[in-house]
This record gives sequence, C-alpha cells and structure tokens, in this order.
Amino acid sequence: MKKGFILLASLMLLVIAGAPLFANGGTDAATDEEITILFMPGIADPFYYMMEKGVRAKGEELGINIVVAEFPKSWGPEAQVPILEATVARGGVDMVLIAPTSVDALITPLKKLYDQGIEIITVDTYLGDGDYSKSSEYSFPLSYIGSDNEKGGREIAEELAKLIGEQGKVYVNTTNPDVSSVAGRVKGFKEGIAKYPNIELVGVDFNLDVQQKATDQTLAALQKDPDIAGIFATNVFSSQGAYQAVVNAGLTGAVKIATWDATVDMIAALKKGEVDLVLAQKPYEIGYLAVEWGYKFLTDGTEVPKAVIPGFEYFTQANVDDPAKDEFIYK
Amino acid sequence: MNAVTKRKTTNLVMELGRRWALIFLLIELVFFSLFAQGFMSLRVFQMIFFFGITVFLLGTAELFVIITGGIDLSVGYVMGFASIISAKMISAFIQAGMQHLPALILGIVLTLIIGLLPGLINGLLISRLRVPPFIATFSMLGITHGVAELLILDGAAKNMPHLANLIGNGYFLYWAPGPGLSLFIRPEIPRGGFILELIPNIVILAFIVIGILAYVLKRTVFGQHTYAIGGNVDAAIRSGINVGRHKVKIYMLSSFLASLSGVIYVLMYVTGKGDAGASSLLDAIAAVVIGGASLYGGKGTVWRTILGALIIAVLETGLRVMGIPTFDKYIIVGVILISAVLIDKVFPEKTYTDNKE
Repeated sequence: MKKGFILLASLMLLVIAGAPLFANGGTDAATDEEITILFMPGIADPFYYMMEKGVRAKGEELGINIVVAEFPKSWGPEAQVPILEATVARGGVDMVLIAPTSVDALITPLKKLYDQGIEIITVDTYLGDGDYSKSSEYSFPLSYIGSDNEKGGREIAEELAKLIGEQGKVYVNTTNPDVSSVAGRVKGFKEGIAKYPNIELVGVDFNLDVQQKATDQTLAALQKDPDIAGIFATNVFSSQGAYQAVVNAGLTGAVKIATWDATVDMIAALKKGEVDLVLAQKPYEIGYLAVEWGYKFLTDGTEVPKAVIPGFEYFTQANVDDPAKDEFIYK
Repeated sequence: MNAVTKRKTTNLVMELGRRWALIFLLIELVFFSLFAQGFMSLRVFQMIFFFGITVFLLGTAELFVIITGGIDLSVGYVMGFASIISAKMISAFIQAGMQHLPALILGIVLTLIIGLLPGLINGLLISRLRVPPFIATFSMLGITHGVAELLILDGAAKNMPHLANLIGNGYFLYWAPGPGLSLFIRPEIPRGGFILELIPNIVILAFIVIGILAYVLKRTVFGQHTYAIGGNVDAAIRSGINVGRHKVKIYMLSSFLASLSGVIYVLMYVTGKGDAGASSLLDAIAAVVIGGASLYGGKGTVWRTILGALIIAVLETGLRVMGIPTFDKYIIVGVILISAVLIDKVFPEKTYTDNKE
C-alpha cells in the first residue's frame, strides 16, 4: 500500500516536473494566430442551445475558431467553474463568452483568466451589478450582452395587468435569488405591478431550477390563495412547472399565466390556450452579437459598449401563428 | 522449481490485481497526457485536486460510515446547509461591526459545531431507535435541504469579506519573475505575465484533515473499533465496545466533514448554496467502493478512497480537457464500479485493515 503511494507520488511529481515544458509547447501550437472564442453556457437548456447556434453561425461567417464548453447539468458555480477551467486549459483561448451562474462566485475565476490575458464578455447574466462602466472589482469584462431583465419584468407586469383587468392577486415563481437575470425580472415585475393599486402580489417562490418544485410551489400558492388571477413565471423551468400546476388544479383559463422564454413547449402551450403571454428573449442574437463584438475587439481593438441590449418579442394567442415570429422560438 | 515459479507468478498477478485501482489511475494519466492537449500541466493537476476536495472530504466521511456497515445519504445536503449557515453568519457578524478575520473564524467554528447536529440526530436514530441508516440519513437529507432553502428565502447567502476569497482561491506559494517568491499573498504582476502558483490553500487544509483521519482509522483504538463494528457486530459487543455510542460518533464525524466541505465551498465561491454538494454524494460513495471498501462493512482505507476519488476526478477533468461530454463519465464510472466489486472478489485482499502491511 505504502509502496503504491510512493510510486504514485513520484510518478505524479515526474509528470508535474516535466509538465510546464509540454504545456508551453502545447499552448503555442494552439495559438498560432488563429482567433479562438470559447462559449461557456450556464446550463443545458433550450435558451443556451439557441445562443450556441448564434455563436457558431457568426463564428463560421468570420472563419474563426469557436469552442463550446460542455453544458453544465445543474445551475451553479460548482458545476460551471470546473468545466470552464478544464476547457480553457486546452490552451489558445483568446476570449471567453460566459453566462456567469453567480454574480459573486464567478468574479475570481474570471479575473484569473483575465489576468492571464484572456478577454471576457458576459452574456445573459453578469457579474456584480452588471455595470462595467465604473471601476470595481468586477468591471474587467469588456461588455454585458443580454436582455434588460428589469425592463422585461416591467413590461410583463403591464401586459399581465391588462389580461386580468387591472385587479386581483398575482403570484411569481422564479428560480434562484443569486442569479442576476431572474432577480432583475422579479424586481422589474414588482415595480411594474406596484403601479396598479388593485393588484396584490401574494408571493414569490424560488424553485432553484427544478421544474417539479415549481409545480409543487405553484400548487401550494393556489391552495393558499385560490383566487390568484395571474402568474408570472421567470424562466423555462418556472413556466413549465407553474403551467403544469395550473393544469393540475383544473384552473386552466381562469388563471392568466405570463411566462418568460419562448421554448417550443411554451409556444405549444400558448397555442393550446394554456398560457396567455410569452416573452421571447433573443438568445440567438445575443450569441451572434457577442462573437461579432468580440471579433472586432480582438482584431482592431474596437471599443465594445459596456452593455449591448437586444430587445424582446411578445407572443400572444393573436400573433403566435405569424410566420414572421417563427425565428424567435427557441429550437 | 516449476511450482515455485508458478507461485511467484500467481503472487505477482494477485499483487497487481489488488493494486488495480492504482494501475488504472496511472493508465488514465498516461492516456490523457497523450491524447488530451494541455492535460499534462501543473495547472490541470492542481485543478484536479482543487475541484476534487468535495469528493475527497465527503468520500472520507462516507468511508467511516460504510466501514461500520452503514451509509450516510445526507452528506451532500448537510454540506449545502453548512455553506448557507456559515455564509449567513459571517455576513451577519460583519454587518454587526466585527472585523473580517474574527467574523470569518467565528462563523466557521460555529458552523462546524452546528454541523455536528445532523450527525448526532442520525447517530441517535440509528443506534437507539434502530432506524435503518438508509432511512435515517435519507430523511436528514430532506430536512437539511428544506431548512437550507428556508434560510435563503429572505435573500441569498452572500456578501462575504474579500478575505474569504483570498483564502479559498489563494495558493500557498507564488513565484513570479521580479517580485520573486511569496507565501499566501499573490504578487502584483502585469496582465498576461508569468506567475507560478503552487498548492491551493484549501487543498492543504483538506489534506491535513484527511491525513489525521487516515491516522485515526489505521492506528488508534477508535479506528480498530470502527472496523470491529463493521466486521462483526456481535463480536464487537462481546469484546466490550459500546457500539451505539461509537456509531453516534461516526455519524457525527461524517456530518462534521460534510460541514467542513460546506465551509470550503463558501471560501471558494463566496456564496452559500443549498444543493452545493448534491451532485457529489454519488461520486463520494463511488470513490469509497472503487477504493475497495465493502458496503457490508469491515474494510476500506482512507488512502484507497482518495485513490477512488482521484480516478473519477482525473477522468472527469481529462474528458473536459479533450472536449468530450462527461455523459461518458457516467458510463465509465458505472463500468469501473462494477469492475471494482468483481475484481475485489477475484483478488481477495490480505485485509486492508491489518497494520502489518
């Protein structure tokens, strides 16, 4: 046993001692003038698959090397950071496009990459408060490219208020208190709904990206307040879970559901009349723009705006069959 | 003559068979060094240990429990629970006006003490009320998960001092051309400049704890009793070991290690997260089994468990460096697990538990 470990330890030491030589050689070989952009998604879901398509499309158009890291199977730094670091270790990465899975936890790992000379653009979610224009410990990324979540939340509040006749109880099902994007949606929604004196927000639940939990929580909320008139669900998991709960409670149609993210399933639900409003972000455009700006910066040093904000599209029962809107469905 | 050679060969085969895990790890290292560009580097080796800490600690916790013939399914969520209470307490202490270092130490110490509680309850349920370990610890998994989420309803567990980050993401030794050597503090260097960073602080911390526990298991009465209970409970009772009390200690130790992982998580990621360790539970149990322990109890060692954890960590990191989706990891780990049990049947060990080796 002991012998085994001495053997193992000495072998590892040998490899480590020889490693820097090989590693440097490897990095140089991979760099050779070609631009390499790494896309690090937040979690395996249709939103990021769509973004990957945008990233790849622009990469192909520009003839640069695109590396897409493994899609994390759960949401959180403990799932994302090991994938990020292992993928970067391959060498030759000039820029990382990343959806940070925590506003705080990703600061240090990304700063470490930045210090090595790698450029960072955050997509969909950001570090700190997302304001990279003033100097702070998290202002090193070139840009945030993604939706204005607070604005989307306010707009959803207005649309939902219209649907429920500007009165009654509303409920929010969201994912995680530590994620910038969904936190912004809820904040915006609260602000938006506060303008309506006859609408009362009865609760906000965090499902931590587990769809089944979103269903359970929404069912519980409907039991507590059976007269809930409207529900806002902040992402794919929340919407699909909340919608399932309304169906299970037999309240389809009586409760208006506004959801975020136009997945194929949500659009199908909208067509069936099970949900009433779907906000579509533009993940494809976010990925596409990120590569475009990243390329400009890497080639001629063009200054990238600190925030690039594509708008939203709204799907309702009235316009869901419009072929012009088809491109905004995440598939 | 012939018989002697034959026995020698058989001995060699037996010896190699018993060391299959070590040989497998070496094969992994050679394979990835050849086929994964960028794998053979100091950075990747340190990465394997750095991100492997959770499984090392949870695996060690699981090992002690498994040697007694039990199982602890709660370690992953006890870890998440500990990450949330430590982050909440530390930020509360700082808001109350405490200095960063004392706040950090107090928060960590209190978390490690509170973290003994799930283990105490598990242990009492199992030893006094005869609740099967699977059920007791599975219930504790749910309870710690639920409580952790209740605690973050009013806001995420964050706002850690920068010091936590410095410890959690810092290295023991730095060297850069110009500033030269420095301990613990990263020298300021120009962006893109060369810097050598050696041994992450928390890897040192984790291995001190693991080293102590390896010693305790192998060389102390506590360790002997642990093996005795798993080997033959009746004999252990007859020889005067207070089995119930010992089991309570074992589950508390397991819970302590899970809480320590939670604290380390907070140092690394400066936030607490309820499901921080959820995905590590199965890897931890797999590490123990690959390391040659039996789920029936009575055998297994700390270093073999670490070896088992390394086999999984190297595989995962290597596949990522190669850019192969780690779905394949699940398949490979599954195959290794089955092989581990079969190989250990074919090459019965002399007993890992004896001290003569």
